[in-house]
Amino acid sequence: MQSEESHLADQELLLAVDGELSPREAERVESHLAACWACRVRKQEMETAIGEFVRFERQSSDMRIPASDGPRALLKAQLAQQAEAERASWLVWPRPVSWRFGWALAAALAMATVTAFIYRSYFVYRHYFERHPTHSMAVTVPDPSLTPGATVLLSERELCRETGANNKAVPVALQRRVFDEYGIRSAEPRAYEVDYLITPALGGADDIHNLWPESSSATVWNAKVKDALEDHLRNLVCEGDLDLATAQHEIATNWIEAYKKYFHTDRPVAALRY
Amino acid sequence: MPGCPPELNAFLSGPVAQGRRVPASAAEEEVVALFDELRVPLLRYLSGFPLALPDSEDVIQEAFLALFQSLRQGKFHHNVRGWLFRAAHNLALKRKRSQSRNGPNAPASRGTEDSAIDPGPNPEDQFAFQQTQKRLASVIAALPEQYRYCLYLRAEGLRYREIAEVLDISLGSVSLYLERSLAHIARVSER
Repeated sequence: MQSEESHLADQELLLAVDGELSPREAERVESHLAACWACRVRKQEMETAIGEFVRFERQSSDMRIPASDGPRALLKAQLAQQAEAERASWLVWPRPVSWRFGWALAAALAMATVTAFIYRSYFVYRHYFERHPTHSMAVTVPDPSLTPGATVLLSERELCRETGANNKAVPVALQRRVFDEYGIRSAEPRAYEVDYLITPALGGADDIHNLWPESSSATVWNAKVKDALEDHLRNLVCEGDLDLATAQHEIATNWIEAYKKYFHTDRPVAALRY
Repeated sequence: MPGCPPELNAFLSGPVAQGRRVPASAAEEEVVALFDELRVPLLRYLSGFPLALPDSEDVIQEAFLALFQSLRQGKFHHNVRGWLFRAAHNLALKRKRSQSRNGPNAPASRGTEDSAIDPGPNPEDQFAFQQTQKRLASVIAALPEQYRYCLYLRAEGLRYREIAEVLDISLGSVSLYLERSLAHIARVSER
């Protein structure tokens, strides 16, 4: 039997378990373990604790992680935007500028000044309307770079078993973040309704990428019309006439086009208009 | 460890791996492929901060955008996975700091207590499992931050040297923090 002093330290055992020892040290630890029951038990306890933690970590996070489609689409949009901005900033000063090109250069600068002025005017104009949303901003289709849609992992069977998912309220804090993202700073409480792009009744997630401020002032393509489309798509999915992924994709891409397609009409059904 | 990602730089290929300035389309392709590979591990890591899911998603987007930018500038990362964990770690710390400055936010729900379901055969087993999960959750939440970060990073398959780089601590600290964290967890398992 080994003496107390010769037992392996906990850190040494952990390094061995994690394969962090040099081959020589690993060999020494292995031969000690072969001879020492006490250290073998401690090693086993350590591995049990690791197992417990990994199980806990996976269990507590994996179930809540939504599918990657929405975040992936958002990243792609942002990468494209960044690449575009980079291209636009590639304005390199030509080294040998001869007087022959002087006029062309001056003309280009004048054009740039005019463009900047127009852009600035547009910006000021847009900023004004963002601050006074009741004047113009009627958001009927979400901005795909802000709201590409996000879903939870659900099979069609699980989805159709669930009832009442449609009436899920959006938490106020999340609503505020949605308004911020869309630059709506001073919206009247009733001017907008924060709505799910992909409704929870079709597997939509409680995620900012799946929420947008739907204007209450829209008279034709309004929330009621979208609700009718959502009900119709859910029925089609649950009756097996439409694939869930297709329904989610169509509503996320352009819900108005989806309405036209599935209701075979260019205008919403009269009863749904305000 | 099951499900651990392959060795470090296996994700990068072509011009990106050679560390020269790459066209936007190639960098974009690589970054999206990495996103597919590492989004879930990063989300799991950030859940240990703890950070709410929408915040974690934002942090991850920022980290990948930063990676894209640095690849476009021709910067070479010898360990992209470690770089991304480090970027996400720093961005998450920044976000946590700004949240605490802006007053108390809604606490990031871990969802452990209510959502954990054991495949156990009977209600007694399920109850025992849920109790253990609750105890584990409170033990892990009570660990010093650095201990917790080490645990979550190790669970995602990072080696000690990588963890040391992500957290900017010594190798000795990594093994010490891990050993102490596991000792706390082992006490829960013994009960």
